Amino acid sequence: MKALPWVAAGCLALLLAASFAAPSAAGRRGGSRWGADYFPNVPLTSHEGKELRFFDDVIKDKVVALNFIYTSCPDVCPLETARMANVQQILGDRVGKDVFLYSISIDPENDTLEVLADYAKRYKAGPGWVFLRGTEDDVTLLQQKLGLISEELEDLSEHNLSMVIGNQKTGQWMKRSPFENAHFLAEQIGSWLHNWSKPSLAANNYATAPELRNLSDGETLFRTRCAACHTIGGGDVVGTDPLNFGPDLLGVTETRDLRWLQRWILEPEKVLAEGDPIATELFERFGGISMPNTGLSAEQVNSVIGFLRGEHQRLTEPRTAKAPVEHSAHSSEHGEGHPPHH
Amino acid sequence: MTNIAHQLSEMSPRNFVRLRARTVLTAALASLPMLLPLAAMAKDDDSIAAQNALIALEGPVPGIIAEELPLDLIPKHPEEYAFEGGYTGTSSDAGEDINLYNLRLVPDGRDIPTGAKPSPLFGATPFDQQMLRFEEFGPVPLGAETSVLPGPDFPSPPDPESGPSSSALDSFLNQFITPSLALPHPFPTRKANDPDNGGSDENPWKPQIESFLGRPLVTPPAEGRPPGEDWAHQRFTEFFPKVYLNTLQGLARPNGGARDALQFHQYNAGEWAPGGLYHNTAGVPGTAGTTAGIQVQFHRNFPVQDPLALWTWDGTFPPKLLNVRYGEPLLMRHYNALPIDPAANFGFGLHTLSTHEHNGHNPAESDGFTQAFFFPGQFYDYRWPLALAGHDTFPAGDPKAGTPTGDPRAGASPDLGNRMIQGDWRETASSHWFHDHMLDFTAPNVYKGGAAAMNYYSSIDRGNEAVDDGVNLRLPSGTALNWGNRDYDVNLMISDKAWDEDGQLFFNIFNPNGFMGDQMLTNYGWKPYFDVRARRYRFRLLNGSVSRYFRIALVEMVSGSDGELSGPPGSNISYNRVPFHMVANDGNIMEHAVAFDGASSVAGFENRKGILPSQAIGERYDIVVDFAQFAPGTKLYMVNLLEHKNGKRPEGEIPLAQILNGDYHERSSEPADQPVPDDQSYDSDPAVTRFLEFRVHAYSGTDQSMDPANFVAGLQTMIPLPSFTQEEVDNAIHRTYEFGRSSGTDADPFTIKTSGGSAFNADPRRVSASSTKSGAEIWHLKSSSGGYAHPIHVHFEEAQILRRGGTAPPEWEKWARKDMFRLGPLNDSGSSVDIILRFREFLGTFLEHCHNTQHEDHSMLMRWDIENPGQVRVMPTPLPTWDGVGYVPSFALPTFRTGDPDGADGYAGDPLNVPDSSGLLMLSNGTPFRTFLATQHEDHATLLRWDFENPGPVRLPTPPPATGDDAGYASSIGGSPAAPEASAVAVNVPEPSTLMMLSSGAAFLTFLAARRRRDRG
Repeated sequence: MKALPWVAAGCLALLLAASFAAPSAAGRRGGSRWGADYFPNVPLTSHEGKELRFFDDVIKDKVVALNFIYTSCPDVCPLETARMANVQQILGDRVGKDVFLYSISIDPENDTLEVLADYAKRYKAGPGWVFLRGTEDDVTLLQQKLGLISEELEDLSEHNLSMVIGNQKTGQWMKRSPFENAHFLAEQIGSWLHNWSKPSLAANNYATAPELRNLSDGETLFRTRCAACHTIGGGDVVGTDPLNFGPDLLGVTETRDLRWLQRWILEPEKVLAEGDPIATELFERFGGISMPNTGLSAEQVNSVIGFLRGEHQRLTEPRTAKAPVEHSAHSSEHGEGHPPHH
Repeated sequence: MTNIAHQLSEMSPRNFVRLRARTVLTAALASLPMLLPLAAMAKDDDSIAAQNALIALEGPVPGIIAEELPLDLIPKHPEEYAFEGGYTGTSSDAGEDINLYNLRLVPDGRDIPTGAKPSPLFGATPFDQQMLRFEEFGPVPLGAETSVLPGPDFPSPPDPESGPSSSALDSFLNQFITPSLALPHPFPTRKANDPDNGGSDENPWKPQIESFLGRPLVTPPAEGRPPGEDWAHQRFTEFFPKVYLNTLQGLARPNGGARDALQFHQYNAGEWAPGGLYHNTAGVPGTAGTTAGIQVQFHRNFPVQDPLALWTWDGTFPPKLLNVRYGEPLLMRHYNALPIDPAANFGFGLHTLSTHEHNGHNPAESDGFTQAFFFPGQFYDYRWPLALAGHDTFPAGDPKAGTPTGDPRAGASPDLGNRMIQGDWRETASSHWFHDHMLDFTAPNVYKGGAAAMNYYSSIDRGNEAVDDGVNLRLPSGTALNWGNRDYDVNLMISDKAWDEDGQLFFNIFNPNGFMGDQMLTNYGWKPYFDVRARRYRFRLLNGSVSRYFRIALVEMVSGSDGELSGPPGSNISYNRVPFHMVANDGNIMEHAVAFDGASSVAGFENRKGILPSQAIGERYDIVVDFAQFAPGTKLYMVNLLEHKNGKRPEGEIPLAQILNGDYHERSSEPADQPVPDDQSYDSDPAVTRFLEFRVHAYSGTDQSMDPANFVAGLQTMIPLPSFTQEEVDNAIHRTYEFGRSSGTDADPFTIKTSGGSAFNADPRRVSASSTKSGAEIWHLKSSSGGYAHPIHVHFEEAQILRRGGTAPPEWEKWARKDMFRLGPLNDSGSSVDIILRFREFLGTFLEHCHNTQHEDHSMLMRWDIENPGQVRVMPTPLPTWDGVGYVPSFALPTFRTGDPDGADGYAGDPLNVPDSSGLLMLSNGTPFRTFLATQHEDHATLLRWDFENPGPVRLPTPPPATGDDAGYASSIGGSPAAPEASAVAVNVPEPSTLMMLSSGAAFLTFLAARRRRDRG
């Protein structure tokens, strides 16, 4: 029976612990209570081929953001990954110094090191952002320990999308949605989890956070589902160096056939699989990053298209008295040469 | 153990380590013989482990006794040296300490306690300790600002991992306070006391914080309330605090009796006097007439809690109660005495706080918005107006809208008068509670002790059963004090908890579905008994759990087999169910009492004798039980019937018979209450159990309290429901909120859809709905996740349930004003609840969320605002840091002001349960509501803020310039004030979509620029 040695060891440990009758004083600290005794020290391999231990090398004494992905994911993983890229860009050279980003594959069979390395390159992963693979059992255990799964999944695509952010040393752990504003995420990772020992990031970034108005449904969807990879009119969503995971969408409603556009947003994986020439060209142009299926309904797709169309009109027409009001209050905070992004 | 722990609680962490080590090793040596057979047994399968274990014990022991060797020489685990951080380096070594039996891995297993092993009971037996009664905070009259003298600052901690010393805290709590006067320094101010924004005081822990952060703080404010006008106390002059309360959230410490003199009863009146049932607070020698010496401990057999394991109000046990009366605004100065280092938390809980008064009619700045949290060393002034809802529309003049006069303290001269106040008496509230509401950390912080009870007293519910003035309902209470007697009025906070193998409180922070404890505590005591007189009692039951629902039954134990339900085989005992009446639901006295006697009608729902309906987290039920029917010596029990397997939802009810006869618990806690030994999981839910014993004692007094049987439907009314006119119903904005793990890509975490829009998780900046002050709205709460139960809580305003599951609600909800709405699979819950509510008097930023606090933290929570009619800008969102609170812009959903696009059309059928509107919106003095409205002193619609005493800059946007990129609106925070004439056109502003939000963006930049300049300098 496979479990027997563990149970026996467990009993022994229980007795030991019980007879010691007190926690190590270290157990009084969040970081040690949720430390080596809690997190599995399972072996993982990085996309660069390095052998790492989950606890010792990946999270110990670090501020981390972790998500679980698989590279053949047809829908939301690319969005999760793109959001991580946004966070990496905002945090800049702190990534790899006092903030560490990890994307762990839940599909080790297909996500070989080569595949992961290629994926990392496509998403411009810098030195502090590591893609990892381990055995299926070990990765499942990690997800369980992080509170990301509580029951068996039928299908990989049902996996929990949450990003886990935490400070292992202090034992603060939180779950975050990949649809969250990248600035907000970066603020929490870069400032809150560091107990504000670094002054707030918001000093530079809240000012340019895009949500400043009563958002239409289409705009809300664009900001949460599309903006990680796309811009409208060249204004970059996170900084001065466009990540360029996807084309700028200014005028896309004019240049593409409406039905094609609807279907491309609704089920891009099928369009691509059919060998559609535009889809294929985009796939190749953007380094093999495929347009994700973001799970929008037909109605939501129309809302997004409506928003894109409205933005095209707004940005290409001469400015009226009313239009500039929306962004002018903080326009001085935009970088030079960047048109307003909304 | 108790003594040692007592010493420990007074010691610094460094000493703590040492002493602990010695204790540990003594215990280890003592247990050595016991260990050997086990080691031998394990040898075949795991000889390395066994050897290592022995080496571990043999090796370092002598050195440790010398106290000098580092502790880490003792491997905690036999294979610790296999790899640093884990002992095998494979999946099997994970979480041995916390999570030896990872119950989540057991198919169909019972994840109780969540992700942990059973809580040890240290040989304790049930019902052998006296239940603690709540200790009163004891607010005292606030003196004049001119009389205030400077005093020492809030005491600071010796190091970042500790709080201030216990004695320093006790003397600080009392230094500005006598039982008759409070002269706090610094004196409370309308705007937050922030030196950057007109305040005068800095965080007194500044040097310690700077040293911990490793960077300078320039002017960290003393008060954590967001600065400026937006979070200033609304209508401060009008509702200026008359009474004051100083408290702190602090590390567990022994009670020093600091509040003894502040108890209304002074341990010298009624049952609190010597010889009374409740004079001795803990039922042990030394605690007669005082709480001094009471430890933070769930049972005397269990270890005293580590200072970092529990963070309670004052840092002490018993749990605390705030007694207040209507018409007497209160200011609670809440100090944060938690460690500066967030890691010093015993593994759960965050040291930043925000306190929510559930469900007070309070302005937003004192409501405990989740993103208005404050830091160690700071205080936050919560000012609760204690005004009846409808204050602005119902003039004083009806004695039912009133408040008791007189001094409530024992020995005060008799004064049973009643002062009439403004407001709708049908909005009178009774049983509230307040608790932490920290963003993402509410569950651990409340679990860790951040919950207190709050009783509202009024002319109707005055806490003196003898007063027969035609207004007082005379609920069981007592007669010794003018008002606020608690002799026969008992708060019960019931919650499940778990503790680790050392008996220290445990919480699994990685539990997305909800956290389950395996042991039931009442008022923080494990399975206590409670002495009662043979007369009527009022019990105020509060479910203070994180994720557990209850269904509570009351039974009488009888000798022999004559009872209707038998005891365990061979026990020669049996049980009878005991009927009782529910008189208040969610703390609000109902229109009619509901008898749980198995006979009355309850509108299609089952009325069962002696069994309450489901009670979700945060729900309160006030019941009246008549013990006069029992002979002295009789024992009764409260029993929890609702079984959980995990935190997602209650599994279902276990028949009472099976719990009492022992069938349900094959080998767990009932009736022997033995812990499950080396087992992988419980076979049954150990919290489905008898958890509280009542012991009946003779009563020689006269029970003058009302008989609730005279107040059931068809007989007398208690507090009729506030009504809505047909016009209000017809014109109501409808809003639909769907709680779930929604379809589409937002599969996880928990989400809320508003008015048919997209599903969102929590973002404190997002305004999902804005209701207009004085408007009525109909809200449709729906659950789209069948496998989960979601108890929904709406802040600020209680509501009436129009429909539950599309049909009439049961009797106990039909007559009720509620703030908790259960959604989920139970037969008394259902997948939808339709409610009607209205918003009055106060404005600002409030919340609506799932009160399974783990769901709330992950992140089933949304923000809604109350706005003035015609308001254009949206309240900005506070962003607290050590340095001070800044603001970031808020944003809103497209439907936030309009509600459901299809309005009432989306709501099929006629509303049910709307009380007859004929005449009910007349004032009690006969004045028609609308006539009265027109005569009110202030037309709120012309102001965007509420500062009656000082309107200040009118908070309206300046009209946009005709052209140019610099167009925009002046900021309301630090920006230029708008032209005064703009105020006259407030209601005619252009549509919100182009206008809102911009103002605060600029303000925030101003704030940040100032901070940056300062940081550089």
